[in-house]
Amino acid sequence: MITRRTVLGMLAATCLSPPLARAALALEEPEFLKEKLGDGALPPMAERLPKVPRVVNLAAMDRKPGQYGGSARMIIGSQKDIRLMTINGYARLVGFDEHLALQPDILESFDQIENRAYTFRLREGHRWSDGHPFTVDDFAYYWEDVLNNKEMRPRGLPLDLLSEGKPPRFEVIDPLTVRYTWDVPNPDFLLRLASPQPLTLALPAHYMKQFHPKYADPETLKKLIEDSGSDDWTGLHIDMSRTYRPENPELPTLDPWRNLTKPPAEQFIFERNPFYHRVDETGQQLPYIDRIFLNVSAPGIIPAKAGAGETDLQAGGLDFADYTFLKDAEDRYPIRVSLWERTQGSRVALLPNLNCGDKAWRDLFRDVRFRRALSMAIDREEINKASFFGLARESADTILPQSPLFKEEYQHAWAQFDPDLADKLLDEVGLKERRSDGLRLLPDGRPASMIIESAGESTLETDVLELVTDHWRQVGLALSVRTSQRDVFRSRALGGEIMLSVQQGIDNGIPTPDMSPSALAPTGDEQLQWPVWGLHYLSAEQKGEAPELPEAKRLVELMRQWKRSSSTAERETIWTEMLTIYTQQVFSIGIVNGTLQPVVSNRKIRNVPENGLYGFDPTAFMGVYLPDTFWYDGSA
Amino acid sequence: MTASLPPSGAPLSHYVSTAPFDPYSVEAMTAGQAKIFQASQLRLMWWKFKKHRIALASGIFLLALYLMIVVAEFLAPYNLHTRNMDFIHAPPQRVRLFHEGQLVGPFVYGRTMTLDMDTLRRVYADDKSDVQRLRFFCSGDPYKFWGIWEASTHLVCPAKDGEFFALGTDRLGRDVLSRIIYGARISLTIGLIGIAVSFTLGIVIGGFAGYHGGVIDLVVQRIIEVLQSIPSIPLWMALAAIMPVSWSPILVYLGITVILGLLDWTGLARAVRSKLLALREEDYVLAAQLMGARSSRIIGRHLVPGFMSHLIASATITIPGMILGETALSFLGLGLRPPITSWGILLTEARSVSVIAFYPWLLYPMIPVILVILAFNFLGDGLRDAADPYK
Repeated sequence: MITRRTVLGMLAATCLSPPLARAALALEEPEFLKEKLGDGALPPMAERLPKVPRVVNLAAMDRKPGQYGGSARMIIGSQKDIRLMTINGYARLVGFDEHLALQPDILESFDQIENRAYTFRLREGHRWSDGHPFTVDDFAYYWEDVLNNKEMRPRGLPLDLLSEGKPPRFEVIDPLTVRYTWDVPNPDFLLRLASPQPLTLALPAHYMKQFHPKYADPETLKKLIEDSGSDDWTGLHIDMSRTYRPENPELPTLDPWRNLTKPPAEQFIFERNPFYHRVDETGQQLPYIDRIFLNVSAPGIIPAKAGAGETDLQAGGLDFADYTFLKDAEDRYPIRVSLWERTQGSRVALLPNLNCGDKAWRDLFRDVRFRRALSMAIDREEINKASFFGLARESADTILPQSPLFKEEYQHAWAQFDPDLADKLLDEVGLKERRSDGLRLLPDGRPASMIIESAGESTLETDVLELVTDHWRQVGLALSVRTSQRDVFRSRALGGEIMLSVQQGIDNGIPTPDMSPSALAPTGDEQLQWPVWGLHYLSAEQKGEAPELPEAKRLVELMRQWKRSSSTAERETIWTEMLTIYTQQVFSIGIVNGTLQPVVSNRKIRNVPENGLYGFDPTAFMGVYLPDTFWYDGSA
Repeated sequence: MTASLPPSGAPLSHYVSTAPFDPYSVEAMTAGQAKIFQASQLRLMWWKFKKHRIALASGIFLLALYLMIVVAEFLAPYNLHTRNMDFIHAPPQRVRLFHEGQLVGPFVYGRTMTLDMDTLRRVYADDKSDVQRLRFFCSGDPYKFWGIWEASTHLVCPAKDGEFFALGTDRLGRDVLSRIIYGARISLTIGLIGIAVSFTLGIVIGGFAGYHGGVIDLVVQRIIEVLQSIPSIPLWMALAAIMPVSWSPILVYLGITVILGLLDWTGLARAVRSKLLALREEDYVLAAQLMGARSSRIIGRHLVPGFMSHLIASATITIPGMILGETALSFLGLGLRPPITSWGILLTEARSVSVIAFYPWLLYPMIPVILVILAFNFLGDGLRDAADPYK
């Protein structure tokens, strides 16, 4: 091995003609690591890679294998957004490919029986970013000493690991194989591992043990706790083991780039993980780009900075409205703007709070005729024209045509502009009386004036709401906008203080039947159309209230059925019924979807897709397009 | 000697000449001189003020603006919220007089919009064959004048089925000129209401502090110092955040004016206090006190009018501060909220980078803000000079 490397090195040094040099470069070590390799701090590539690395066949993806080098700048709106590196890095035990098929990634292989028993086989020789082997011990440590530690998790396992309330059995089969077995199916399990914010199953035990009282010397641990300012060891352990937001530069990782900067900072530097497990078809270890700089900046000026060439790869913080400006900047700066399609069910959705505290309004919101009237009173075409150049798809809050589950009837369900029918429905629900200025009166005599809560984050929301206000005024309903912090939304909605809120529609607009339909049923307290019902499900019926509408009940029932299901065909039936109920009942009022997202990249960077799907779930922003395969073309 | 005295109690014998007497005979004045020397205080101030040309011009400008906001509905070519989806982000149209060398009176060329699907811009081009004559005193968007009478008369309207956007349109195709005119209503009155609050507080609090002195003065002075030491923007932000979110925009508007007023009285109170400290030693105050007048009467009737002109001048100078305060608050998203439209709101909506790059006409509301602030400053300057006409 060493001989081959030396020979290659000599070749590269002596062959000055470019084509030959490039051919040699294909098996060359990254220039970036030369120094460390030289003084023996790092072993050669063959020893850094697992025995069987994951080979990314770029040619099959219509891309070209590239060359090492360069650093890319990105702008983030706040320090919290260093999680973008975990999302975009997209190193998962199992992950989606471009076509949303599940692939083993960190795992060499996986296999499952009836969605109950999952067997994971690790890659032999796979190492954490500090060079320590990644083994079943890391799974065992996390399972035994973290997940099942009473102090660490007083309330037991995370919900994702429970199936009908029961935890799995964890077994170590051999030094490279682990198995999780439930008695009943847990079809969500693999998807949770592939999600942008993945379920953690393993931590670098060799590093984390120093923070665990079971392994650490009590005196040293006590000192560590005091120095860190944590209350106890659990706090310290949690702080030190954050993987989603990689705030601890010392924590070994499996991601393509590892953080070098401890927050707080204005700039975060991520550097290539020399032990990363993916290679391209020529055998070069990924990622191609050596370093990523994340610069923290005020969210409002990200478009301006992107248009001034201050970023090499950017989608976050940019909006469709900025496209014209960015396109114009193409002439002045070496950037390239492409348009991807967003995957939300609706770019802007209005959510009537079925758990609203005001009885009169709550009754109205729970009346499907009222929700349908609200939906049909909106002139989606005007909104599309005004804010999206007519390029968006006027639709209810539902899935996109790219999804195999799509049916046209979902898109058009109560989404036509029909103020007359809306008027008729409003008369029917008991809002017949009107004030002299045409505003309808509630049965108790108050004017039908609604307040919608907005986080006020984008002018797009403001514009859409302005138009909707006008449209609804035409049918005799008044709407006023209240701006409040996104952080307090949930608690206020749970308290019934929110009437309506404006948000993005369902997150995953391109599901396959195997993905969880949880967004369509009351399953979480962040669902502002039914936070109290969602909390009921989320807390395993401990908190909140059970859904009262039969349709919502049915959705929860279907959700539970999906969780127990063990075949794709069965899931497809469940999805279809849920989508039908959700769109027919108009639980959220969608406006347009399939809107376009500008993606700015440096003109020298290769392999950035011209068209893509952009969304958090399931594409993990750019994650499924593998940013570790993006490279700088030095000759361009 | 005693014989010449009248008896006790009887009037002293004296002589009054009936001959005409001119007290100014020693120093005879011409009619012109008399006019000057015998002029009232107000007249003197006016003369002095008139000499300050810029102040005079500013005064007239402001007066015109305030008259304008009274009839905003009539002056604006469109309504505040009238949208025109076919003319989004249309640049300002030029008003022309001559078409192909012939005088046709004020008109604009019609425009055609094409969508540039590559850069996603709306491109507007003048259609030279489509002459759209402007109409005056015409019927346009119907509105409720002062919220009471139905009307539809506008000073100027576009030709039938035509458009007239003198200052362009915004991202929902709303006419910028109309929005500036309507926005003036809020922006200009917010200063006046705010100043009324701060004036009242300043005179009352400063008056008592100055007149009574002692402990009251001490306490008031310390409060003022504390209030003045707090940075104003964060304090506004805090107060604006307290306002219940369920308030209607009108209540928010009043709340903002009160906040602006509540924070602004300190300077005025200081001025009132120092004046009163000097004036309360005057003989006429002692006389009033001897006659049994209460302190509120002495301050209100005898002391404050003595330097009212001064106060008005200084108030004039603080109005722009209020207008800027409102603009700043609204710009930060803490002040007024749509659908109430002020200049600050208009500017907030224009703060994205694309606006500066492609739609600079959305920044026009800056111009009236600058002009009004300047005008108030000049006016205040002139009034201050005039308040002391003998100088």
